[in-house]
Amino acid sequence: MIRLDSLGVRLVDRRRGDRRWVLKDVSLCVPTGCIYGLVGPGAAGKSVLLKTVVGLLEVEEGLVALDAIDVGQAAPLELELLRRRIGMAFQNNALFDDLTVADNIAFPLRRLFSPSDDEVREKVKERLDCVTLSGFQDRMPAGLSGGQKKRVAFARATITRPPFLILDEPAAGLDPVSSQRLFDLIKRDVTASGSTCLAVSSDLDRLLPICDRVGVLVNGQLLFDGTVAEARNAADPRVYQFINGLPDGPL
Amino acid sequence: MGFLMALSSRLPYRVWGDLRGFVASLGGGVLLQAATVGQMGVLLSRIAARSTPARLDRRELVRHMEFMAIESLPIVGVTALFTGAIVIIQAAPVVQRFGAEGLLGWGAGFGVLREIGPLLTALMISGRVGANNTADLGTMVVTEQVDGLRALAIDPIAYLIVPRFFALIATLALMTIFSDVLALVGAALAGEVLVGLTMHGFYNGFTSGLIEFKDVAHGLIKSVAFGFIVALSSCHFGLATTGGAPGVGRSVKASVVASATGIFALDYFLSFVVP
Amino acid sequence: MGSPLETPQPLVLHERPLVKLGRVALDAVSGVRALVSLFLRTLWFTFRGSRPKGATALQAFEIGNRSAPFLALTMAFIGMILVYQSAVQLGRIVPDYSMVGANYAELLVRELGPTIGGLMLATRVGAGMAAETASMVVTEQVDALRLCAADPVDFLVVPRFLASLVMTVVVIVLCSGLAYATGALTALVAFDVRLDVFVNLSLVDFGDVATGLTKSLAYGAAIPICSCHCGLAAEGGSAGVGRATTAAVVLSSLAIIVINFFISASAFLVGL
Repeated sequence: MIRLDSLGVRLVDRRRGDRRWVLKDVSLCVPTGCIYGLVGPGAAGKSVLLKTVVGLLEVEEGLVALDAIDVGQAAPLELELLRRRIGMAFQNNALFDDLTVADNIAFPLRRLFSPSDDEVREKVKERLDCVTLSGFQDRMPAGLSGGQKKRVAFARATITRPPFLILDEPAAGLDPVSSQRLFDLIKRDVTASGSTCLAVSSDLDRLLPICDRVGVLVNGQLLFDGTVAEARNAADPRVYQFINGLPDGPL
Repeated sequence: MGFLMALSSRLPYRVWGDLRGFVASLGGGVLLQAATVGQMGVLLSRIAARSTPARLDRRELVRHMEFMAIESLPIVGVTALFTGAIVIIQAAPVVQRFGAEGLLGWGAGFGVLREIGPLLTALMISGRVGANNTADLGTMVVTEQVDGLRALAIDPIAYLIVPRFFALIATLALMTIFSDVLALVGAALAGEVLVGLTMHGFYNGFTSGLIEFKDVAHGLIKSVAFGFIVALSSCHFGLATTGGAPGVGRSVKASVVASATGIFALDYFLSFVVP
Repeated sequence: MGSPLETPQPLVLHERPLVKLGRVALDAVSGVRALVSLFLRTLWFTFRGSRPKGATALQAFEIGNRSAPFLALTMAFIGMILVYQSAVQLGRIVPDYSMVGANYAELLVRELGPTIGGLMLATRVGAGMAAETASMVVTEQVDALRLCAADPVDFLVVPRFLASLVMTVVVIVLCSGLAYATGALTALVAFDVRLDVFVNLSLVDFGDVATGLTKSLAYGAAIPICSCHCGLAAEGGSAGVGRATTAAVVLSSLAIIVINFFISASAFLVGL
């Protein structure tokens, strides 16, 4: 279970030189085994929210809890143990340039656990087959297309079978077929392993069908938190406009 | 340089096994360097073709100069003060050995005006302004802003490069004068505090007639030449940027390395040629 | 950066001088504090880290081998220039060039070799380190490292720090030798100073060697710390990488000049 309780995050604004609230009073809950879709216009604070959840950014106000662990207050050792249970795919893929595809995918496994070489090879092969990149083990990230990098990043995020799966734009830049396949894969993986998934995507048409719940973040505030069906008929005109993709409205 | 570069990067892998591959990569390295020099030449001719006084936007030029001067003033100032002090500290034992403290002012002035002032100012401006210029232009290239200019039928060379090119040369020359003065102040202060030479004695040594106008001119002529090489290489590598954010970093590195190499090579030839 | 049609605005001009001075001073204090903190963390992870083996050797190859040609070239030129300039200067008072070699050797060992070499390394190596680390920051690779319990200081800074500590000294010693050789040639060709007269190490004593080596070591430590600090502080896409790389060159060069002053002054006052 991922629980956010009136979360507030401030970041330094480079242009003005002061600290500005990026997230303000955000509360939501992702029950175990659920896929939660977080959507919203650009620069709303979606990526900041994800990074705060996994403990990469400081919690300024409120509470972030993964199961029973308070991320903001966790001791370093506790945080390290927690990170074994988190998998994250980044918006910019964050593939290490000097490692092969196989080493990239195996990186969290090797760092956080102590697997045997055979185990690593087997798991990497299984993940690559899942994202339809069989045989790509020895390629370097620089030689991959944008969509292939996205899929490698997803494979790396899921190699440890993490109970918490955090996805930041997992399918941006993918063609419609690969994109649909990836979302189906997310759904299958989460259902099979019973993990908790928090996903950000601009591809509402493909994200919403696999989501159990959806949240709409605008300007650092969570305007809506509920089921997909509720979102489609939301009372707030901004949420209604965004979810239904209407050109006219308050946004 | 291409020879040495190719040699150093390939030697451990190639020389034992595949001698043919080594020779090929050596030639490749030389060709690559030659291509860079050639591209710089082309860029220079294109800049020259667009540099008629009538076409030069003076307001733009002044604005760039203002910006460049302001961003490099603190670093050039600090560098000059400390460098002047170091010159005195290093020269003091030598001069004391000859028993000629009166010449310390002259010695420091000579070294600063002819060599160290122009050289260090050029290196610092290359790091601050040249690198910044490359980063700016590189960002514009990778975010396709330069293509956007072309689409609007605005010539990027005339619009972006020419004002920066001349502003950088002028800024470096002005900064050299500023840094010469501050380096002498730093030398005088260090002489007073550390070596026990009074400011008055330093001044007397400096103005004893052994420093002539041609020494100052020697330094300034060099600084214009340095400005030229820094401007050319920073503009070239900025425009030649490819490959997103990492590409911008690589360009900046290539630009400062090429600038420094050019500065030292030019310094060598000009030291002999200019009286 | 905005659009290309936007020209750089010197906003600082409109700030009142005292306000600006205070802001610069505050920035400098917090900057120095950040550098010291990074340095301490680097030392900590040097002994306690869990980085992969071989990373340091790779960086040592990068620093030593890749930057050697550039450093050799510039140092060869500076050797020729300095001997020429000092002989011209000497010629104005006493045209006796017999001691040029001895004085040059002393100055090269205690000052010029380490400092010019250090400035060149700051340019070449500092820009490279900052460009690499900044690229890793803006493409979120550093976030990914942290998420796998791999501290970026341990994984990125420590290998560069250790490699630079060793290779800076090695490269500077080798290139100073080269600068000495080109200086000797210049004296021979331009001023007819015979090699056996020029090669005179009588003025080089223990103090000179100690000062020179201390400087090389200090530069070797300062360059990676300054550059990685700038690189890791990068933000905001390709413009951010450019800014970080520029800042690294400036900060490393400045650090070398300041360190040089303090080491030279202490050596002078101690009488080395």
